[in-house]
Amino acid sequence: MAGAFDFVPAIAALPLLAFVISLFFGQYMPKRGAEAGIIATAGSLFLSIWTALTVAGITGSATSYNENLYTWVVGQDAGAVTLHLGVLVDPLAALMLVIVSLIALLVHVFSLGYMNDEGETGLPRYYAGLGLFTASMLAFVFSNNLLMAFMFFEMVGLCSYLLIGFWFRDDGPPSAAKKAFLVTRFGDYFFLIGVVGVFATFGTGLFAPIGGSEMASFPQLAEQALNDGAGAAGVDTFGYDAQTWFTILGLLVLGGVVGKSAQFPLHTWLPDAMEGPTPVSALIHAATMVAAGVYLVARMYGFYLLSPTALAVIALVGGFTALFAATMGVVKQELKQVLAYSTISQYGYMMLALGTGGYVAAVFHLTTHAVFKALLFLGAGSVIIAMHHNENMWDMGGLKEKMPVTYWTFLSGSLALAGIVPFAGFWSKDEVLFEALIHGFGTSGALGTVYLLAYAMGLLAVFFTGFYTFRMVYLTFHGDARSETARDPEPVRWNVKGPLAVLGIGAATVGLINMKPVAVLTGAEIDFLHKWVHGPDEGGWPAALSTDLVHYEELLHDAANVSASYPVGGEQTTLLVSAALSLGLAVGGVLFARSLYNAADPVEHTDKLGGAKTLLMHNYYQDEYQVWLAQGVTVPIARAADKFDQGVVDGVVNGVSSVSLFTGSRMRRIQSGVVTNYAALMTLSLVLLLLAFVVVGGGV
Amino acid sequence: MTSRPRLATDVNVINGLAAVALFVVMGYVFVTASLPAPSGFPDGSITASIGYAMFGLVDQAAIESEGFLVAFEIIDVLLVAALVGGVMLARRESDGSVVTALTDGGRRLRGNGDSTEADADETSTDGGEH
Amino acid sequence: MAIVTEYYLLLSAAVFCIGVYGILTRRNALVFLMSVELMLNAANINLVAFSFHHGNLTGQVFSLFTMAIAAAEVAVGIGIILVLYRNFQDVDVTKAATMRW
Repeated sequence: MAGAFDFVPAIAALPLLAFVISLFFGQYMPKRGAEAGIIATAGSLFLSIWTALTVAGITGSATSYNENLYTWVVGQDAGAVTLHLGVLVDPLAALMLVIVSLIALLVHVFSLGYMNDEGETGLPRYYAGLGLFTASMLAFVFSNNLLMAFMFFEMVGLCSYLLIGFWFRDDGPPSAAKKAFLVTRFGDYFFLIGVVGVFATFGTGLFAPIGGSEMASFPQLAEQALNDGAGAAGVDTFGYDAQTWFTILGLLVLGGVVGKSAQFPLHTWLPDAMEGPTPVSALIHAATMVAAGVYLVARMYGFYLLSPTALAVIALVGGFTALFAATMGVVKQELKQVLAYSTISQYGYMMLALGTGGYVAAVFHLTTHAVFKALLFLGAGSVIIAMHHNENMWDMGGLKEKMPVTYWTFLSGSLALAGIVPFAGFWSKDEVLFEALIHGFGTSGALGTVYLLAYAMGLLAVFFTGFYTFRMVYLTFHGDARSETARDPEPVRWNVKGPLAVLGIGAATVGLINMKPVAVLTGAEIDFLHKWVHGPDEGGWPAALSTDLVHYEELLHDAANVSASYPVGGEQTTLLVSAALSLGLAVGGVLFARSLYNAADPVEHTDKLGGAKTLLMHNYYQDEYQVWLAQGVTVPIARAADKFDQGVVDGVVNGVSSVSLFTGSRMRRIQSGVVTNYAALMTLSLVLLLLAFVVVGGGV
Repeated sequence: MTSRPRLATDVNVINGLAAVALFVVMGYVFVTASLPAPSGFPDGSITASIGYAMFGLVDQAAIESEGFLVAFEIIDVLLVAALVGGVMLARRESDGSVVTALTDGGRRLRGNGDSTEADADETSTDGGEH
Repeated sequence: MAIVTEYYLLLSAAVFCIGVYGILTRRNALVFLMSVELMLNAANINLVAFSFHHGNLTGQVFSLFTMAIAAAEVAVGIGIILVLYRNFQDVDVTKAATMRW
C-alpha cells in the first residue's frame, strides 16, 4: 500500500482537475461547477489529513518526505543549475495543507449560498478560478525549491486578479484587480531577483536537503558558508562578505513577501481587493494567499536566521504594519474594509513573530488567524447576503435577533481576533508578544532595541484591535435596526450557516493546540504545536530535513545572536505579566468600544478625531502616494525610454530602410524608357569590360 | 522625298562618344594582336564547296567544311515564321482597329490607329505614382 | 601578298562601331534598323576573314545563314515600326518612352 506521501501531488491535482471541469463543463452542471470543486477540495482535505497523520507517525513508516519528482531543465555543464519540481512534506507543510484544504472546502460550500443562491452569472468562471487557486496554493505549500515556490506564488497572484475582477462589468472590480496584481507584482520583481541570486549563489534552490547530503539545501550551504567560509561550502558570494550577501538575498525575497502578505508599504491593494466576492475575500485575502508570504519566510527560516539584519527588518515591518493598519481600521464604515485592515494588521503580528525568533508563535498565529479570519469574512458574507449587498455598517444594526447563527459565530471570531481568553486569538497573539518581549530584552545591541520597539507597536495595536473589532460587532449586530433592510433581512440557508458553525467551533477551540501559558504554569505537556514542529528530541525526521525547531533555535542563538531573557522574575512571572498586559489592553479596547457604540442608536464618533480623521479616512494618503509614484515618476521615465526606443533604436532601423528607399528612388531614374539610352549604357559597359580584360591580360 | 538629304545635326553626340570609345578600344586590340599568317584556300571551287556543305555532303566538297544541313532546314522554318510575324503585325482587325501593345490588364490605354487626334495627351501609366 | 587578318578585323570593328554610333544617336526608327543591319554585316566580315585565316569554309557558310536571319529580322522589325507608328504617331524612338519608372 503506497504511503500518503506518494499521493501528495494529488492534493494539488484534484483541484486542478476541478478547474478544468468547471471551465469547460461548468455550464452544463446544475451548480455550475461547484460540485467538482467541493468533491476535489474534500478529496484534498482527506489526503492532507492522511499526510498529516503520516507525518505524526501514526500511519505509515516515513515521517517526512523530500523528493524531486520532475526535472524540467537539465544543467549540462559542471557549473550549470538543474531545475526540478518536487515535493517537500514536513510538519509545517502538512499543517498548512490541512488548513488550506479545509478553508477551501468551507469556502466552496459557502459559495453555494453566496453566489449560486443569489443568482449570480458567470459561475463556471468563478469555480474555475477557485479551483485553480486552490491547486496553486496547495502546490505552493508542498514546493520543495524556491523557483517552484515562486512559480506557484505568481499563479496564486494571477488567480487573485481573476477572482477580484470577477464582476468585471462594473468599474470598481477590474481596477481593484489591476491594483492588486500590480502592487504584488512590484514586490515579486524583487523576489525574482532574489530567486535568481539564490540559484547563482548556491547552485540550488532546495529548502531542505534530499537524501542526507546528496543534494544540500541552500540554508544548509549558507550556514556552512558562514561557519567555514564561502569557498569551502562551494558558494559564490560575488565579492561580498557572506553574511552581507545573504542579507541582501533575504531582503530581496522579502520584497515578494511584503507584497503578497500586504505589509507596509505594499499593503494598499488588500482593502481594494474587497471588491471581489466575499468567499474569495475569505479564502484568498484572509486565510491562504496572504499567508503565502509568511509561509515562505517560515519555510526559509533556516536562511533568514543567519542574518540578524533581515530579522530586524522583518520584525520592524511587522510591528509597524500591525499598528499602522489597526489605526486605519478604526474609522472604516464598511464591514469588509474593517476586516481587510484587520488582516493586514494580524499578518504584521506574524511577521513580528518571525522576526523576533518566535517560529512556533508565528505558525500558531497563522493557523488561528486562518480559522477566525475566514470565519469573520464568511460571517460578513452572511450579513451582506442578508442586507442585500449593502456593506455600510451604519445601515445595519439589530441583526443579533434575526441572524442568531451568524451572530454567535461572528462573536466567536471577534473574541478570537480581539484576543480574549480562552478563544484562539488570545493564545497565539499572546505567544507572539511574549516571544518579542523576551527576545527583545535578551538580545544585546541594536537588534534588541528594534525588537522592543516592534513589541511596543504590537502591544499598542492590541488595544486598537479590540476596539475596532467590537465597534464592528456592536454596529452590525446590536442596537436598533437603522434601515429597512436591517429590519427585514434576507434569511440565509444551511450552505452559509454550516461553514460558519464549523469555523465558529474552530475559532473557539483551535487555541487549545498550544496553550503555552498553561503548559508553563502547570508543567502539563499540552503545547502540541510546539511538539509538532519540534520533532522527537532524538533527532531523525525533521532533523534530516533541518527544518525542525531544534535546528532553528540553535541558529537563532548562534548565528543571529538572539537569546531570551525574562525581565520580570523568571519565565513564569514574565509570562503572566505579558499575558495580563495584552489581555488587559484587549479588554480595554473592547470596553471602550462598548461604551461608545453599545447604544440603541450609536452616533459616529469619528468626527471627534478632528484632523486625524481625514488622515485615517484617506489611509495616510498611501494610495495617492503610490499613484503619484506610478504617474509622476514612472511615466516620465517610461516616456523617456520610449523616446529613446523610437528615436534611436527604431531610428536606426528606419534609417537603414530610408537609405534603401532613397537610393532606390534615385536609381530607378536610369530607366528612362528611351531605348538609345539603354544601348549607350550597354556600350559603355562593354568598353569598360574590354578595357578590364586588356589590363588584366597584361596588354597595356 | 523631294528635298536632298541633309546631314543629321540633331544627334545626341554624348551617346555617340561611347561608340567612338568602343572603336578605339577594339581597334587598339586588333592592331596590337599578332596573328599567324592566313592560310588561304586550296584549289577548288569555293562556291561548289559551299553548296556541298550546305547539304551536308562534306566529303564531296573540295575545301574542308562542316555540315550545315540541320541549320539549313531550321533557317527555312525561321524565314516562314518571320514572314507570318510580319504579316500579323501589319494586320488590321475587322473593325479597323490595330494590334496594339498599349494595354493595361486588357483595358486599352491608347485609341486605335484610326483616330488622328491625340490621345497623345493621355499618358499611360504602369500603375505607379503618376 | 595576302592582306593580314588584323586589317580585316579592323575594318569589321569600324563598320560595327559605325552601326553602334547610328543606334546611339539617330532618332528615326528606320535609320535605327539600318544601323542594326550594319552591325550584322560587320560580324559577317569578321566571319569570312577568319574563314580565310583558317582555310575552312565554315565561316562563310555561317555568314550566309547570318544574312538570312538578318533579312528575317528586318522583316519583323519593319512590322514593329509599323505598329509603333500606329500607336505613337511618330517613328521617333525617343517618343516611345512609356515603359519607364
